[in-house]
Amino acid sequence: MHIFLGSACHPTMIAIKPCRALLRPPSCSRLKACRRLYHSYEHHRTPPFPPTESRILSAALSHVPTHGFTTAALTQGARDAGYLDVSTNLFPAGPFSIVNYHLVTQRLALANDAPSTDDVLNNVSQNIKILAFRRLHANKAIIHRWQEALALMATPAHLPTSLRELALLSDELLFLAGSTDVTSSWYTNRGGLAAIYASAELFMTTDRSKDYVETEDFLTRRLEEGEEIKTFIGGVGSWVGMQAGALIDGLRTKGVWI
Amino acid sequence: MSKPTLWRTPTRLSRRLIAAKQPYRCLSCSFRLAQEQAKQDAKTTHFGFENVPESEKESRVGAVFSSVASSYDTMNDLMSLYIHRLWKDRFVRSLNPGLHPTTATTTSSSSPPQPQTLLDIAGGTGDIAFRLLSHATDINNDTMSRVIVSDINPAMLSEGKKRSLETPWAGSERLSWVEANAERLSMLDDASIDLYTVAFGIRNFTNKQAALEEAFRVLKPGGIFACLEFSKVGNRLLNGVYKRWSFGAIPLIGQLVAGDRESYQYLVESIEKFPSQREFVGMIEQAGFMVPEPAWEDLTGGIAAIHRGFKPV
Ligand SMILES: C[S@@+](CC[C@H](N)C(=O)[O-])C[C@H]1O[C@@H](n2cnc3c(N)ncnc32)[C@H](O)[C@@H]1O
Repeated sequence: MHIFLGSACHPTMIAIKPCRALLRPPSCSRLKACRRLYHSYEHHRTPPFPPTESRILSAALSHVPTHGFTTAALTQGARDAGYLDVSTNLFPAGPFSIVNYHLVTQRLALANDAPSTDDVLNNVSQNIKILAFRRLHANKAIIHRWQEALALMATPAHLPTSLRELALLSDELLFLAGSTDVTSSWYTNRGGLAAIYASAELFMTTDRSKDYVETEDFLTRRLEEGEEIKTFIGGVGSWVGMQAGALIDGLRTKGVWI
Repeated sequence: MSKPTLWRTPTRLSRRLIAAKQPYRCLSCSFRLAQEQAKQDAKTTHFGFENVPESEKESRVGAVFSSVASSYDTMNDLMSLYIHRLWKDRFVRSLNPGLHPTTATTTSSSSPPQPQTLLDIAGGTGDIAFRLLSHATDINNDTMSRVIVSDINPAMLSEGKKRSLETPWAGSERLSWVEANAERLSMLDDASIDLYTVAFGIRNFTNKQAALEEAFRVLKPGGIFACLEFSKVGNRLLNGVYKRWSFGAIPLIGQLVAGDRESYQYLVESIEKFPSQREFVGMIEQAGFMVPEPAWEDLTGGIAAIHRGFKPV
């Protein structure tokens, strides 16, 4: 999906709405939602998925390395968790549910070992880099399947959810890194960081270097370019849009139904 | 629209069939709004826009479907502007019936799953049943799963059996027919069904809540309740057009097709009386089901909707 931040923002492409949600100051209801999220984080968070769904989806996720993000993985997950094949009807979004489960649980997991208060005070941009790279690392086990996930995220039915999740991830990274400056650059950062993260994630799907050092370098360079963030987004937008189109076409020719 | 077969001579099964009157014990008809009404007069339910004694609704519904049994398909075509076939396709495809093919070599500790038992309630014409079997067989390569078609009305069942002769499932062990009221499925054990479907049936039931509870009982834990039904159109313009069409044109078509205007008037009115999507979700949850997100799927702007419920393990 993340790559589709760019595509959605590109004038010739779909979805103006999700784009606004990312790049414009939020309505107050949204602000409240963000505050509440952080507030609850300080105490304890309610589990993001009901127990039944968690059980099936986490079992399904363990089949992704072999089956990919497919109905087969979902079915295996349901069977492992002691449910029926028809139980997969619990997930009208089909295999995208597994993708979404991964995105949400990994975003929330970031808070588990967030930088300590001292670090936070020291260096926000260093913290962002560490956190973003940590989040990228969480894709390691399924990185060879991640292009399937990206393609699912880009389908019109799932794009709004995907973009929203990307925005939440961006918020989370900024918050955990200690950027609590809501008034000034927060929302510019949010869109910019989302774009940077999304492109690094896509980069990683083709990175064969040890421990993904090339992805790390890529991420570092992009973040350093952060000053020129506005032109950068435009550039990434069209580049990513192209990648996205090519990616979907590529997968279609491989017989993945999108 | 000018299909010659549309205007075939109506048969008047209804005149010969006298639907059995059974005593009926439920106090209110299903949904909450109606419950309040029912307090005032515990013994009536609606029959279209008429209020009739509950004991009578079953037999009057019976008479309606007996009288339209053979022209039923034509009627459906006209009433939904031919879209009902697409809806049914969509319904069955989204349920993905049959055991799913998976590369069975995976580490899963579970033993190979048992063949599925699918139950199509109010399945009269067999429309859904044939689709369930085709999907399981052709899409999922599952040649073991079975479908039980159940309907309260023997005339509808024999119409379905007749039609089954033209399908690959004629005389197959995978297809069986049972006459039963959806509110009392005493021939079925608890927790014996994988998937329960009901298409354009539930709005005719006297006690919808009782039928939902019975669905919950017969389903296995992890099993799915799925309903396709006419619903409330969200868009006001479309709603206006559809209402005008259904109240005006459909009974007239009914008269032409089946020679029975009253029966079709009932069909139209029963659609109008059916609870909204949101109310119906409440009823499904009340029966014990978990309702997934999104809670329902509107088809053609909400003229029909698909609802699903999951029986927790
Ligand atoms: C509109 S038809 C639907 C037939 C088929 N499912 C389809 O979609 O073409 C409604 C069916 O519900 C049946 N029915 C009405 N009340 C019922 C009840 N209480 N229990 C079971 N079936 C009932 C009628 O006999 C009729 O066949």
